[in-house]
Amino acid sequence: MESATVALGHAHEEHHGPPEANQSSRIDRQTLGILLFIISEVMLFGAFFASYFFLRVVVHPPTWPPHPYELPVAVAGVNTAILVSSSFTIHYALEAIRRGNRKGLKLGLVLTWLLGATFLFIQVNEYVHIGFSARDLAFGSIFYGLTGLHGAHVFVGLCLLSFATIRAFRGHFGRDPEKHLGVEVPGIYWHFVDVMWLIVYTAVYIL
Amino acid sequence: MKISEQAVFRWVVIVALAAASIAAVTLLTTPLVGALWALALVLAGAWHAYRWWRRRGAAAGGPR
Repeated sequence: MESATVALGHAHEEHHGPPEANQSSRIDRQTLGILLFIISEVMLFGAFFASYFFLRVVVHPPTWPPHPYELPVAVAGVNTAILVSSSFTIHYALEAIRRGNRKGLKLGLVLTWLLGATFLFIQVNEYVHIGFSARDLAFGSIFYGLTGLHGAHVFVGLCLLSFATIRAFRGHFGRDPEKHLGVEVPGIYWHFVDVMWLIVYTAVYIL
Repeated sequence: MKISEQAVFRWVVIVALAAASIAAVTLLTTPLVGALWALALVLAGAWHAYRWWRRRGAAAGGPR
């Protein structure tokens, strides 16, 4: 093999292992990966929303939420504002690194993480004080199911942001798009988490 | 539409404004009216997505 390569006069390195995978020229693998993952999670949330609207519209109990349960709409509204703000801070972080501003990147990531953690803390506090559990009627089950599913996604997002923040402080990211994919991908995921909460809040607390 | 964080952030702002409008309509009227407004927004979004998909297909030279 080597003698044949030398005989052909090729100076390139030999490729070992299976052939290179095909990849799109229009989207990089990492972005495509997170996009497909998000689509699958949207399907999962869709199943929970289907259950919620089935209980509310088809089963149609006399009152919703069932008496005597009440939802803390105002507190959840403040929480919504906190989470929406965190989308702005992660966007700021990415705009900063696109201009080569590493300080802005670190500040944006830390702020996003803190806002996300605050959201989760308030959510847990709401669970403690809300006055019903997941075992209280189908309403309790679907409320905790839907909001808990979202909370789990926030937790995963915080883990991703932790990795990105640690790497940012170690100076791993640069101005070029392929040099800050480690922030761009968690950023896309975090925006998905935010959009999903807006839909959950509107459907569960407002309507 | 290029799939990037910038494009996704644009949609965060759009969904946030839509959610705020649904909340305003619901609080000012009834949950039923709010739900109908939400449905109207979802249908408008679906129509916009369909038109974008057709434009994209036409731009790529695909079948109409």
